[in-house]
Amino acid sequence: MDLDKKKYIIFVICLSILALFIIRLAYLQLFTSDELTKESDKNSIKTITVTPPRGIMYDRNGNILVDNKPSYTVTITPNQFDKNILEEISSVLELSADTLAMTLKNIKGTNRFNPAKVKRDVDFKVISFIAENRDRLNGVDYQVEATRFYPNNFRGSHSFGYCNEISPKQLEKQIGDYYKQGDMIGANGLESNYENHLRGVKGYKFITVDVKGREIGSLNEGRSDIAPVNGTDLILGMDRDLQELAEKLIYGKQGAIIAVDPRNGEILCFVSKPDFDLSAFSGKTDSKIFSNLLTDPQKPLFNRVIQTKYPPGSTWKMMMSLAALEAGIITTTSTISCPGSFVFGNRSFADHGAYGSINVVRALEVSANVFYYKLGLQVGIDNYHKYSKMFGFGTKTGIDIPNETSGLLPSREYFDKRYGENKWTQGLLVSLGIGQGELGVSPVQMVAYTAAIAMNGLYCQPHFVSKIKNSMNNEEEIVKYEQRRIDLPLKYYEAVKKGMYLVVNGNGTAASIKSEEIVLSGKTGTAQNSSGKNHSWFVGFAPFDDPRIAICVLGEFEGWGSSFGAPTAAALMLKYLGASVNETDPEVKSVGDNHYD
Amino acid sequence: MNKGILERVDLLLIIVTLAVIVSGLIAIFSATYTSGTDYFTKQLIFAIAGIVMMIFISYIPPRHIAKASYILYFISLILLVLVLFFGKKISGSKSWFSIGSFGIQPSEFAKIATVLALANFLSKSEEGFRNINRIPDFLKACAIVLIPVALIMRQPDMGTSLVFVSMILPVLFWVGLSPFALFCILSPVIAVIGAFLGVNYFIGSLVLIGIILLIFKRNVFLSAGALVLNIIIGYSVDILYNKLMPYQQARIKAVFNPETDPLGSGYNVIQSKVAIGSGGLTGKGFLQGTQTQLKFIPEQWTDFIYCMIGEEFGFIGSVTILILYMIIILKLVSNANVTKNNFLSAACIGFASIILFHLVINVGMTIGIMPVIGIPLPMMSYGISSLISFLVMIGIGMSAYRYRNQY
Repeated sequence: MDLDKKKYIIFVICLSILALFIIRLAYLQLFTSDELTKESDKNSIKTITVTPPRGIMYDRNGNILVDNKPSYTVTITPNQFDKNILEEISSVLELSADTLAMTLKNIKGTNRFNPAKVKRDVDFKVISFIAENRDRLNGVDYQVEATRFYPNNFRGSHSFGYCNEISPKQLEKQIGDYYKQGDMIGANGLESNYENHLRGVKGYKFITVDVKGREIGSLNEGRSDIAPVNGTDLILGMDRDLQELAEKLIYGKQGAIIAVDPRNGEILCFVSKPDFDLSAFSGKTDSKIFSNLLTDPQKPLFNRVIQTKYPPGSTWKMMMSLAALEAGIITTTSTISCPGSFVFGNRSFADHGAYGSINVVRALEVSANVFYYKLGLQVGIDNYHKYSKMFGFGTKTGIDIPNETSGLLPSREYFDKRYGENKWTQGLLVSLGIGQGELGVSPVQMVAYTAAIAMNGLYCQPHFVSKIKNSMNNEEEIVKYEQRRIDLPLKYYEAVKKGMYLVVNGNGTAASIKSEEIVLSGKTGTAQNSSGKNHSWFVGFAPFDDPRIAICVLGEFEGWGSSFGAPTAAALMLKYLGASVNETDPEVKSVGDNHYD
Repeated sequence: MNKGILERVDLLLIIVTLAVIVSGLIAIFSATYTSGTDYFTKQLIFAIAGIVMMIFISYIPPRHIAKASYILYFISLILLVLVLFFGKKISGSKSWFSIGSFGIQPSEFAKIATVLALANFLSKSEEGFRNINRIPDFLKACAIVLIPVALIMRQPDMGTSLVFVSMILPVLFWVGLSPFALFCILSPVIAVIGAFLGVNYFIGSLVLIGIILLIFKRNVFLSAGALVLNIIIGYSVDILYNKLMPYQQARIKAVFNPETDPLGSGYNVIQSKVAIGSGGLTGKGFLQGTQTQLKFIPEQWTDFIYCMIGEEFGFIGSVTILILYMIIILKLVSNANVTKNNFLSAACIGFASIILFHLVINVGMTIGIMPVIGIPLPMMSYGISSLISFLVMIGIGMSAYRYRNQY
């Protein structure tokens, strides 16, 4: 075969392809053109994104904590929007014309052909105005969306968190392209942590619309549509009634309450006060409300349960006892002499009483400072750091909401860095022994530590969500969390727990909360505060023989641990365990003689 | 004097190429009119630079190009390896080096280098072309093409890999591969497509292959071997397919039937058919296409540029564009025929088949008769690397005309 012949073969193949394409073009452009023109001119296919409702949150008994309700969102499709009606629309929506113009101007590229959400949670009368004037209001439309609804008499602000409209920065940084401008995204609390579960998966509806953007029908009778997948529901360990009481008891004060089930780390109630009204964030996010919250001197957005770093005061004494026992400095029966004060170097450290020679159980019961000043010195910084770290101090507990602090647990390196090598004295250890000084703990760390003592060393990662429930098929999946054993001899735990028992049931600092129905136990604490009134701490657990609740209460500027912390914690433990509680006033019981610290 | 210019310069090829580039610029201008991007300006600047380059290349004597071909080939292989490590990922493929605001796609330049290396290999013989029917030479020729293909598939860029594969058969056919061998290469493609479509299609395609093998009346063992190979390939495709994840299967299914993927490729095909069809005989006019201007088709200045021509310039515009491309392709084939230089002859066929493959896949996809494979429309789609590379190809095609009497 010579090249000429091959050339003709190639020519024939090419011209056949050309002919085939021309026939196809003629079919599309000449013979079916009318239909396709009609489709193009009058009926355009539009993609409508269907955002599924976010997953619901339930409490441990199946009560709804966070729900959804329908709300109307006004949208504007920028390329169809007539600028002459900008003023009118902005006044109807109660937005400033400049803001609206800016919003529309910032929508770029192909997004100009899709409806952009300009105002959420509008009144029904706005919607009827839009519906009535649709012919005139090109590009203006509304969508029905689900917004958050909180059906209970309490807030849970810091636990549940809220959603925000996704920011341009988040849009840019996202992996993949799931989120679009105007989408809501969990910004805080559980909403943020479980965003990928709660949000579900968006669906798409393909509809045909006419030139005015009016819906004519669905494409392929909806067969091409992609159904959204509803968000996954969360089942929390929280107890609705306990949460309500906890918020009531701390109402008007500043502080934090957290209770967990010590057997598994499920959070039973979680309060940080002052807080804020989540429903202000459910739809329209008013920037004024938000900036007020930001500038409020009481810092309502600050999550006191997981972000505070206060010294724990005497609630630290169990930790010191365990460290000293394990380090071999004391035994469960050995005694230390406790006169009314302790002199180290040229400084005298005071105590609120002289107790004679006492063992560790008694030292806990009466909260003897001298006992722990001495332990602090003998345990030394290295053991102090080592054993405290075993109980989760200086590290994050791993609670399933964001922005947790790891607190401050001093170590040799820390002091060397802070004061210079060998430039700090053992005197620092004296304060550390009684839970003061440069030690910062959060209530969530404290409750996890208390629970671990209650369970003889079983340390559970505190967490809100116990199960996630697929709302499409109702299948439940148990969420796994870390549990570890802090391996100390059982008799050490028993000695420390005996001390906590006597704090309430003996002649201790919280004898005022003793209950006849249920055996409570715990420890009071007072964090010294150089800038004002002291902070009141209480940690405890109950029932003593079979712990089912461990709790930590922090009252900022509330003074002694026995004055606010103890009665509040007692009321909550009794309530959870089904005993009778005086719910109205946690501070009724008078503070007895031996109330200090 | 006038006759002298026509003797030396391939004026037809220049004029038609310019016509295609101008049409492309008009289309990009319209497609990006409301998007606020600067693609038009970028494409214009590089079109001018590319045309200057094309004319410059047409003056380079063929022996220099031939001498450089292997070096260029190895450089492009190195670049293809480097891009796997240092490339920028754009829509899932690592096929770009980014330099400032520009992206450079080494696979575009590898196209040219591979064609030149193949042509150089095939023309290394005193009397005419190398005898490609000798199995070692045949395998070497295939290896020259398949090494860059393997690298490009790692990016992964399916469309561009197929472009490389598409040039093997036409070039080998041109230099004298026997029709039997040609068929043996082509038949697995039939078997694979048959295997995808179902058991009956697979059996049917095997029967067809068997009958054609009989017609060739070649050695029984050879024919039977070819058939068995086809059966094995067909089955292994089936096994491989079943091992894929469901979403990967869905993607392959969408290639054969876009309607199964209304959000992805299927959506574009529906929209592009509507856009082209609504153009009618004369089109809606420049900047008047509602489908184009309303951006129903995302990024249509790249792979879906042809539907903008169809919508705004109608049947007349669409057919004119097709005819322009056919003139370029046929002129390249014709240059391959008239030149006495074996190297440029084979190279022109390689370039012509690359342009043809791009045209068939790209236009075929927008008018709904080809699967959606993302490769650009030559010299019209926005894309600097691709534009320059096609102009270089045509420049070499022009040199085949200028130096047609040099051996």
